[in-house]
Amino acid sequence: MTVRERPSAAENARLQEQGRKVLTALYVTLRALKLYPLENAAVQSALNDLHQLVSALVATDGGVELRVMGDFFFLNETRLRLDLSNYSTFGSFARALNNHGLGAVEVLPGIERGEWAPFLSLLLRPPAEADPFEGFMQRLSGAPILHLQFRPETEVQEPGLEEEEAMHAAKRTYAQSVRLAKEALTDVRMGRAVNARRVKRAVQGIVDQVLANEPSMMTMTTLRDFDEYTFTHCVNVCIFSVIIGQRLGLTKLQLYELGLGALFHDLGKSRLDYEVINKAGGLNDEEWFQLQQHPTEGLLALFHLHGFQEMPYRQMLVVYEHHMKRDLSGYPKNRRPRSPALFSRIVSVADSFDAGTSIRSYQYEPWAPDQVLREMRDNSKRGLDPLLVKALINATGVFPIGTLCILDSMEMGVVSAVSKDPKKLHLPVVKIISDAMGVPLAEPRTVDLSRLDPATGKPAVAIIKTIDPQKYGIKVSDYLI
Amino acid sequence: MTEIPRDSKEGPTGAALDWSDPSTLPVAEVRELFVALGKALRAQQLYDQNNPVYQRFLTQLADALRGLWRSMDSLQVGVEEDRLSWMGEEIYRSSSRNDSLAFLLYKDGLREFTIHQGLEDAELPSFLRVLNRARDLRPEGDDLLTLLWEADLQHFTYNYVDLLAEGLELPSAGDGFPGGFQLVLERETGPEGEDGDEEEESGESGEAGAHPGQVSAEDFNPTLYSLDPLEMERIQADIEVEMERDLRGDVLAALFDRVEEPRFPNRQKEILDIFALLLPSFLSRGALSSAGAILEELTRLLRAEGALRPEHRVQAERILDEVSSAEALRELIQALEDGTIAPDPAELSALLRHLRAGALAPLLRGAEEAEDRGIKSIIQEAVRGIAQKYREALIGCMDSTDPVVVAGACSLAGRIQFVEAGPKVAALFNHPEPRVRLAAVEAALGLRASTAVGALQDALEDEDRDVRIAAARALGALRYRPSAPYFRAIIEGKALRQADISERIAFFESYGLLQDPDALRLLDGFLNGRGFLGKRESGDMRACAALGLGKMNTPEAREALARAQGESDPVVRSAVNRALRGEG
Repeated sequence: MTVRERPSAAENARLQEQGRKVLTALYVTLRALKLYPLENAAVQSALNDLHQLVSALVATDGGVELRVMGDFFFLNETRLRLDLSNYSTFGSFARALNNHGLGAVEVLPGIERGEWAPFLSLLLRPPAEADPFEGFMQRLSGAPILHLQFRPETEVQEPGLEEEEAMHAAKRTYAQSVRLAKEALTDVRMGRAVNARRVKRAVQGIVDQVLANEPSMMTMTTLRDFDEYTFTHCVNVCIFSVIIGQRLGLTKLQLYELGLGALFHDLGKSRLDYEVINKAGGLNDEEWFQLQQHPTEGLLALFHLHGFQEMPYRQMLVVYEHHMKRDLSGYPKNRRPRSPALFSRIVSVADSFDAGTSIRSYQYEPWAPDQVLREMRDNSKRGLDPLLVKALINATGVFPIGTLCILDSMEMGVVSAVSKDPKKLHLPVVKIISDAMGVPLAEPRTVDLSRLDPATGKPAVAIIKTIDPQKYGIKVSDYLI
Repeated sequence: MTEIPRDSKEGPTGAALDWSDPSTLPVAEVRELFVALGKALRAQQLYDQNNPVYQRFLTQLADALRGLWRSMDSLQVGVEEDRLSWMGEEIYRSSSRNDSLAFLLYKDGLREFTIHQGLEDAELPSFLRVLNRARDLRPEGDDLLTLLWEADLQHFTYNYVDLLAEGLELPSAGDGFPGGFQLVLERETGPEGEDGDEEEESGESGEAGAHPGQVSAEDFNPTLYSLDPLEMERIQADIEVEMERDLRGDVLAALFDRVEEPRFPNRQKEILDIFALLLPSFLSRGALSSAGAILEELTRLLRAEGALRPEHRVQAERILDEVSSAEALRELIQALEDGTIAPDPAELSALLRHLRAGALAPLLRGAEEAEDRGIKSIIQEAVRGIAQKYREALIGCMDSTDPVVVAGACSLAGRIQFVEAGPKVAALFNHPEPRVRLAAVEAALGLRASTAVGALQDALEDEDRDVRIAAARALGALRYRPSAPYFRAIIEGKALRQADISERIAFFESYGLLQDPDALRLLDGFLNGRGFLGKRESGDMRACAALGLGKMNTPEAREALARAQGESDPVVRSAVNRALRGEG
């Protein structure tokens, strides 16, 4: 594989455009080959277009590599942005590659037009049953293809920031955001003006970080501090909201608007009785009634924020509606017709997930993340939008990062990454932290549960149970951050 | 410092120059570029986007960039407080902070930027806009970095110092579990299954399933977490709904819901304060429907029994009074007139409908002065509505020192047939301003009240021609026969002969309408009679008399007209024929 440097911003824009064109051309050609014989004019025209496009790209860039990793395509080192205008095209070609266990296709200088048809025709054939990648390579050996190289999906690594660099940036963004959330909430409690500019910058940082390296930001949400819950929760909800928004194809500016609303979602609590908000144990009816006022108080608090060119109406609605539930059975109750909009519903989902997995003053034993997801998904009384819950699970996997689990080997581990393969979201990467006897490992080792045992064709190890780490006071973040 | 600027002496990538020899560097061209940038920035401030002057400076800047790209791929510039540098060479300096590009960038933390090839193609106007907006930012508002982020320029990258990140510490979790993993494994996988705690938890969270933590293969079905194309379509539709949402309307609806809760008096007060804050903002932005919605809600709250505490009622009344004040409405009308606000007629009408008595005077003036017929008509309608609700205020307007307001109020009193205004209207026949007296005449016609009608007779001899004509027409229209002697005197007098033809026609026709028993004799005499030496009246006077006879429209009057049908004077003949045809 050719090692390439990370592209500049301008280069990135060019590659985004070229990448979309190449994927569209591949998709169009694949579809034409599926429908018509090779000599058909539509097929020939599609092949011409594809060849011209890729040849030009190879000429300027010295070679082209297309990698598919989960939901994402990379053209050389550039992650192509998935949005609602291209998700179907991208998804279709990704599935075609994944069926054959292909993770990357590299186009070398000298590629000839005649090489495309055999390659794409091979993609259209049913995959080999035992080992799809091996089967594909065997069939390929008989085809006149000299300038296309392939790698299995198991070998494909996510390019971009080095992991350490990404984590460093994520830590900085997270810490900064928590501090600003704390400042903002404290300012509201003290009746001081909130510095909206700093809050905006924090949200911009979160959006940037999620766009650049989503897993690193998701990992940061495992850093839960009971004492700082109010503030880390605001930041976590912001992060999860932006992650969901990204899955839905929101633009960068839309993610920013969403993130801003999410960060402020509990602002109203700063205007309520501190004793009630932080009361240990259950709340009585009057206290519960008080707590239910926080969306309204948050809405009103946002009117006093300075530093916005226009009133932050969208954020006000997010703050006001995030406990309303889809059927409006939540709070506050409405006297006029209202339908909580998408951003409010996204924040509801993010809020439910983070709140459900956190220790709070009135929740000593939170659920394990996978149980929270299941509850969110299956219990319609929660009033969450099922599609948005799906989008969240799509991002977090069935076992979100930070899930403490017991494997069938009786080892204990912490989920450290989500599988890149959308079909294997239940098979994450796990850091083993103790052996089968419960002896902590001096050096935790990482196991990808999606790897198959060659002998059985099934995953070598599997999760049998998840545990709430906070129930035992285990700091999963120690193993991840 | 979170973003560490790279060494700006590094040679740009892909450069075609001999970077090892500083004497060959195009320093002069780079300096020229920043001169061109300064000019383009100023031009953007001064001119519209389509203005040729701005376009010329924009082209010059783009050309300067294209010129640079012949020798380099990107331009990496270091930023200091008073200067910009490239490859160690100063390329821009300004000692004055006010208009310094270097300081503009420096003060918000930018320490280095790179212009990439391509900025000149599509992003240049946005780039200039960001810089110009950054000049005008308020200290508590956005900064350059926020603006640059929002602009999301693909061909302008930057590094900055971030003071927010200084001394940051990650929040830390609490103490770790002292029991060791062995105990965890024993508890979670022991032969008895879940321990007491787990059972308790299971009981609490029964909705989650009977065996929390136990992995279920059912969860692994990809359809549970993959969005299919139809679901993505629904999401797309939801995004569109979100983006097109009536944000203001929905926020207002939330406030309206909450302000109706008397059990939260402090909140009610706060929301009323917010309404007072929002109203001028909405009006200045032309968000008339939102402003109207607030007024409607306040009006409704004031009507609802017990909805507001007494002190909040006062607050709500004050808001309505303030928005109905002369100052507020003067602003609104001015904005409507100069086009700052382009209102939807229905929205404007809905807004004005909720105004109170105080709005009458300014709106009366506005209705009079508005040039746009549509706006004029909407204001008139609104004024009518307010006047019907606040009749006393309408009478009050007739005492205004502003003759436009007095005249408007007077006319309106007539149009809405506010009979109680009769004495006031009658008094206005003596107003020094002719336009007021004219309005009083119109009002008297509308009111048909004896006090006002009586005053009309005096107005027949008003010093103002228009008032006289209007009074004559009004009395004619009212068929007010008691005024016949006044008409006779005027028609037979000398003054009318010196008046213009319109005034004469008005008097003759109105007199004809009165059906005065003496009218036939008088008018026939004017038309067909001869003087002492057989001399006839002037053609104009005879024509006027013919029109008067036409208005009488009796057989005798028609007979008199028929006798003049063969008249040689074309003016008279024409008037006779018109009168016989019932025209005029």
